[in-house]
Amino acid sequence: MGVLASKRKRMFVLSIDGVPYTLLTRLLQRGDMPNLAAWVAEGSLVRYNSTLPWVSSVAWSTYMTGVNAGKHGIYGFVDRQPGSYKTFIPTSRHMRSETLWEYLSRLGKHVVVMNVPVTYPPRPVNGVLIGCFLSPSIDKCAYPPEVSQTLKALDYRIDADPYLARSDKLKLCEDVALTLARRAEAMFYFMLHEDWDFFHCHIMETDRLHHFLWREMEQNAPTLGQRFYAFYRQLDGVVGQLRTRLPDDAELMILSDHGFCGIQQEVYVNHWLAQQGWLQFEADPPRSLEDISSRAGAYSLDPGRIYINLRGREPRGCVAPGAEYERLRAEIAQAALELTDPTSGERLFQAAHKREDIYHGPCLESAPDLVLQPVDGYDPKGAIFKETLTFRGPTLVGMHTFDDALLYVRGRRIQTGSWSILDATPTILTLMGLSVPPYMDGRSMVAG
Amino acid sequence: MEHQGFTLWFTGLSGAGKTTLALKVEEILRQRGMKVELLDGDVVRQNLSKGLGFSKEDRDTNIKRIGFVCKLLTRNGVVAIASAISPYREVRDFVRQDVGAFAEVYVKCPLETLVQRDVKGLYKKALAGEIANFTGVSDPYEEPRHPEVLVDSSQETPDESVTKIIAKLEALQYIPPAPQTPGGVYSNAERKAVEDRLQALGYI
Repeated sequence: MGVLASKRKRMFVLSIDGVPYTLLTRLLQRGDMPNLAAWVAEGSLVRYNSTLPWVSSVAWSTYMTGVNAGKHGIYGFVDRQPGSYKTFIPTSRHMRSETLWEYLSRLGKHVVVMNVPVTYPPRPVNGVLIGCFLSPSIDKCAYPPEVSQTLKALDYRIDADPYLARSDKLKLCEDVALTLARRAEAMFYFMLHEDWDFFHCHIMETDRLHHFLWREMEQNAPTLGQRFYAFYRQLDGVVGQLRTRLPDDAELMILSDHGFCGIQQEVYVNHWLAQQGWLQFEADPPRSLEDISSRAGAYSLDPGRIYINLRGREPRGCVAPGAEYERLRAEIAQAALELTDPTSGERLFQAAHKREDIYHGPCLESAPDLVLQPVDGYDPKGAIFKETLTFRGPTLVGMHTFDDALLYVRGRRIQTGSWSILDATPTILTLMGLSVPPYMDGRSMVAG
Repeated sequence: MEHQGFTLWFTGLSGAGKTTLALKVEEILRQRGMKVELLDGDVVRQNLSKGLGFSKEDRDTNIKRIGFVCKLLTRNGVVAIASAISPYREVRDFVRQDVGAFAEVYVKCPLETLVQRDVKGLYKKALAGEIANFTGVSDPYEEPRHPEVLVDSSQETPDESVTKIIAKLEALQYIPPAPQTPGGVYSNAERKAVEDRLQALGYI
């Protein structure tokens, strides 16, 4: 092994939550992001898939572990407690696999990780970890704990304020912009003050912008539409600063976890299950899943997850395992695929995935029995009780999509293939010259 | 459910606590339904490696023999727990490569603490020159560079160390996770605040 082979390999990851490949390429063509365009010209940008379901908690958990949800155990932003209808918020404590940064820490690498979803509570690393928006406060979000003081001194913000979207979307835009500015400042601070081998900074502000301003962007709304693009010019300014500060020989990856599209209608799946006779409650109206009846066949959690009320698994389960379970599951899947928007007549769902077809591993037992994948524009919701099947509102106007995420690697060619966020960490390990643990489900997108 | 075999290798100075931890981990893995075999260095030297001394060559042979048995057990779906000083890095790494499904636990403890504890009365004899080739006193110990788990028996209780080991084995997908109660992360007020935020974002 010569000197070159032992040269330090540093890796920088910038993630931009919910940025579609199609949007980014349009922004690059429009000229809104010249700094990013310069980087893209030096590497390989591809469109790839999110996870099932296509939600950030699942996608980033899959990214950071390199395994499917059947191994890491995170199936959504809410889940039900085993043997109960009580729900809880899955956090890093429930993630049943080693993360990329824990693996790197074991190898003696110094890591800095900022804001990646499902990093609260912060698990120990060899370096710094700043938890995501699941953190209840800055005081609790960091490892080691004293980093919180640094964050306060930097006036760091964990997340933009989503409640502003209900009252004043212009104020929301200002808040998103300020949150990005503070996050970038913290990123540059830690880049300078930590002797990092691996650095990952996650930008959540793009997701917030898209949830609340996507329709305004599509409709070229005079003020809010322009603010949408202004945000991306601001983001490009951050990229420009990063270009001057990132060592030329550091490996670089930029990625998103899912795409976005406009919401035509929210779809209340539990309302539909009840209308079909598959879901009943013991209270009218029901207050939570705990009011489910012992006659209920199935219920839904966000987004599009269907759980059969299985005897032996669910506390008031009435569906027998085996043939009855399979029959009911098939009926629900078929009916979902035939379901149409009462207004437009369009189908609402494009696929109904069985758990065993999309997950494998020791956490399969807590997986949903079906995942209903929507047609773009139809956003499945897990609200327990709604009086209509669909709803279109002014506040939440953008929804996630499965197949329009992006991944970019500087200075490398991404091999032809069908890729997903599952493959990002194996790719990072290959870029760092490290072996990919055999238990990981993903593959490297670049040659070693 | 069929479990995959793997080798869990405890290394560290004499008296650091390898056997203590290995026994506790063995019990937990049996409770989780796994087949487990423990190859303890002191026991192995009475049978499989009877007659071997403490020269480097003999130590390497001893470790390779234990490693060979671990490999056979591992490939037949058994968890092989090895607990041996195994002072030389090169032969530990050889066993790691040979076995494949392998996790190393370094049971660290400062020599001064071990001399004070002297659980088997051996350090006193070694320091008096009555025992030759004693690791840490008259023979070297090469610390692992990247063990899967590092525990420090001078800083942690055995139960704390075992918790770390089990957590890492779960995270590495070597053992299935124990059923977990999902609570305890948030106070009621914190949980409400996070839930409200997730609802405002349309995630629940």
